[in-house]
Amino acid sequence: MSLLDRERSIAHAGYSRWLVPPAALAIHFCIGQVYSFSVFKLPLTHVLGVDGSLPGDWKQTQIAWIFSLAIVMLGVSAAIFGRWLEAAGPRKAMFVAAVCFGLGFYVSYLGIIQHQLWLIYFGYGVIGGMGLGLGYISPVSTLIKWFPDRPGLATGLAIMGFGGGAMIGSPLAIKLMSHFRTPSDVGVAKTFLVMGTLYFLLMMFGVFTIRVPREGWKPDNWTPPSKPRTMITTHNVDVDTAFGTKQFWFLWIVLCTNVTAGIGILEQASPMIQELFKGKIGPVAAGGFVGLLSLFNMAGRFSWSTASDFIGRKNTYYIFFVLGAILYFILPRTGADHLDSVVLFVTISVILLSTYGGGFATIPAYLRDLFGTHHVSAIHGRLLTAWSVAGVLGPVLVNYLREYELEHGVDSAGAYQTVLHVMAGILVVGFMANLLVRPVPKKYWLPEGSGDAQTSFGQPLAERSK
Amino acid sequence: MLDSLKSRFAVILLAWLLVGIPLGWGIFNTLLNSMKLFH
Repeated sequence: MSLLDRERSIAHAGYSRWLVPPAALAIHFCIGQVYSFSVFKLPLTHVLGVDGSLPGDWKQTQIAWIFSLAIVMLGVSAAIFGRWLEAAGPRKAMFVAAVCFGLGFYVSYLGIIQHQLWLIYFGYGVIGGMGLGLGYISPVSTLIKWFPDRPGLATGLAIMGFGGGAMIGSPLAIKLMSHFRTPSDVGVAKTFLVMGTLYFLLMMFGVFTIRVPREGWKPDNWTPPSKPRTMITTHNVDVDTAFGTKQFWFLWIVLCTNVTAGIGILEQASPMIQELFKGKIGPVAAGGFVGLLSLFNMAGRFSWSTASDFIGRKNTYYIFFVLGAILYFILPRTGADHLDSVVLFVTISVILLSTYGGGFATIPAYLRDLFGTHHVSAIHGRLLTAWSVAGVLGPVLVNYLREYELEHGVDSAGAYQTVLHVMAGILVVGFMANLLVRPVPKKYWLPEGSGDAQTSFGQPLAERSK
Repeated sequence: MLDSLKSRFAVILLAWLLVGIPLGWGIFNTLLNSMKLFH
């Protein structure tokens, strides 16, 4: 086990920091597969019947719980194990994440061949979900320490991988299922086995490539800014202390509102474009639209977080909320009843999805600016509970509001107008929360020397006292 | 010195290719799928 210890992962003199982003990407690509879980939905309802469902086959509603469970476990494990991760180091945490994620597939494989749904809930949902949470936050603080000059770029690169994971996971699963399919087997069990192995191996590349910077390291030709900036601290705040600050909870609202609004459009993307442009856009074209959204979700993660290094984190979120509120307001007016412009609808939607992704990727750097690098992964882990809440709030709001409108005689296109206007309102709440974010008061800072003092510049002065 | 620089560059390139190739494949597939919107 010592190979996984933090001390064994300290970078040697010739190590390049440009090896850290691919290591982090390897983890995020794999765990991002969770977003493509829907490709298993139909095959899992045909395990017994193969060509169709038999009475004993699982229902779609039962299958849907696997994804929900995994996402809940992501938030829970990121919040619970964040502090352990900071002490254990990124390599050990990434190793545990890889084992959990791979094991999740293997246990689910057993669940499929034994036709025991609880084994899939436990495997992919609980064990795999823990791998998701640990994997998501494990490279964050390491990346920030390696890139004190460009923390937004660094975290954007990794979190972009989570957005891109579905783009790899979905075609891979489809190709594997078609390869393993026989007249008596739908092919999903063997697909789980192969994917678990492939993902475990790719994650191992990340585990053994990642390094933490040695004490006092800083990038060549880079000197920390002599004038401290108001919204970027040079001090550190402990995770438990951070949890009790107003700043943490304002950022929690910032993330929650941004994600809720984004999920609002993601959740309804395919039916919305078809109903707003009846006769023009069919299910196939709508599928293309969903693909385009996922591309911009990923691109937004990298581009917005990189931009935040130049324009500042607070300003970046101001853009998300102001631009988002305006665009959500305009979006329903692009439909066939008003402007009748598919191009405008698609353009607005992809911009909105880019800000959704950007919100995820910029938040770690925002946390680092306010709380320092010492416990940034653990604080990030606790903040991800906002994602779990938004994951429930967004779809519930969208579906119930729409149903309410339809029940009261509003046509399907008109019902979207109300939903999207509510999303604009939610973004105004996020704007207010962002407006209230102020630097963390001195009383919350860790004493000099007990954390990575000056860590926002990547110069850890001392290991945290145990 | 030059050899060590070359080998360091090769390692970095290899690491990026390892994640870049699957990503490129994923983007290609998604773009192909997205094209259906414009047909």
